[in-house]
Amino acid sequence: MILTPKIVARIAAIALLGVLLQLSFFSRVELFHVSPDVLPALVVCLALLGGSLTGAVCGFSIGFFVDCLLVEALGITSLVLLGIGYLAGLFRERFEIHGTLVPALLCMGLTLLAELGFAAVQLLFGIDAPVSTLVIRDMVLKSVYAFFLGWPLYLLVRRVLRPALVEEPRVRRRRQPTVLGA
Amino acid sequence: MYRKQVRRRRAVLALLIVGSFVLLTLTYQGSRGLQSGVSTIFSPVQSVADRALKPARDLVDWFDKTFDARGENSRLKAELVKAREQAVGGQEALHENAQMRKLLALDRSPALAYSAYKEVTGSVIARSPTVWRSSVSIDVGSDDGVQVDDPVVSGDGVVGRIASVQGGSSQVMLLTDHASAISAKVVPPGATGVVKPEVGNPEELILDFIDSTKRVHGEQAVVTAGWRAQGLASHFPPGLPLGEVTRAPIVDQEAKEQVDVRPYADLRNLDLVQVLTGGSRG
Repeated sequence: MILTPKIVARIAAIALLGVLLQLSFFSRVELFHVSPDVLPALVVCLALLGGSLTGAVCGFSIGFFVDCLLVEALGITSLVLLGIGYLAGLFRERFEIHGTLVPALLCMGLTLLAELGFAAVQLLFGIDAPVSTLVIRDMVLKSVYAFFLGWPLYLLVRRVLRPALVEEPRVRRRRQPTVLGA
Repeated sequence: MYRKQVRRRRAVLALLIVGSFVLLTLTYQGSRGLQSGVSTIFSPVQSVADRALKPARDLVDWFDKTFDARGENSRLKAELVKAREQAVGGQEALHENAQMRKLLALDRSPALAYSAYKEVTGSVIARSPTVWRSSVSIDVGSDDGVQVDDPVVSGDGVVGRIASVQGGSSQVMLLTDHASAISAKVVPPGATGVVKPEVGNPEELILDFIDSTKRVHGEQAVVTAGWRAQGLASHFPPGLPLGEVTRAPIVDQEAKEQVDVRPYADLRNLDLVQVLTGGSRG
């Protein structure tokens, strides 16, 4: 990805919109008693297009912004999302993304990893109440939602950042030659 | 060239990780100025986003609630019959209560402390995305008289308390947050305890440390205790509805001194809440 000031502004706008949508919409709707979490999926999409460095910086910034808006302990979300972004970026740098399902599957797997990361950090800092086994259902369903949201999100982010993508394959439909008199 | 790039990448990654730990350290040292600033700037934007996205949220909620409504209908019918019987009994108790108050001339009992509170109504504008932290942001803050630790209620019962305040917004720590604990009592037997959450399950709370000599049964109401002793007082006025006992096995009551409680307030679908300001400050 070629990072120009315009592209950086576009990435910042995507991140800002993503956070606002998450806090005002996705966190407040429930399907089967679980709210989707699009932020790990968004970080994965940005990392798959921009690489490990872009992924890590985007993850850190999005996490920082979320913690600021919710006035929660700063650093936890940043730490988890920067790890997710870096891993997704590394995948992009080491492997080719061949299948159309790869971004969605990565969104699913890394969302689960992010949820486990949040759990680990929270347990490290101590929890003053018993933990329900429903937490596991919550984590699994969140990652399933990430699978379904991941693919449209990836297409959308790729469309917005298209001018910066280096190896964007352009599919052109070849016209059949017209045979005169046929 | 490639090595230089790899080195730069690793340096940035290390910097970000160190940055995260620095932020964590700053937070646990009590510095929240930056967050308050960002939250103050973005709370109007969040309010606008909240209003704009309400139709879309309602649409998704409609699907979710349609699934739930099927099973809930028969349960509610049975509850309605029981509630009618209780309402008749309640009217009688109210009348008796009024007469006793006159007799005792209680002008400022803890039960009347609720009248000292002023209600400030606010809309929920954001919600924490992770199950580990159960908090919502609302569009009223210190400009409206809201202070840290003020009780927050919805039409159904207690929702939580104010965790932090900015000018035009504040954050509510819900009953389901792992750090939440409210002194409560079961009515009518009067067994008191502390209502704590079960992390990850918004439909269940635990009434802990109850007096094992007082028997608690299912479907009894749990309200705030609103204690007052030696110059200290609970931030919650007494008698605010918290929930209903769902499971109270004698074994749990005697061995663990706890029973399960279902909160009255629908903590997953909060739109409007009331902050009770100006009450007891301990």
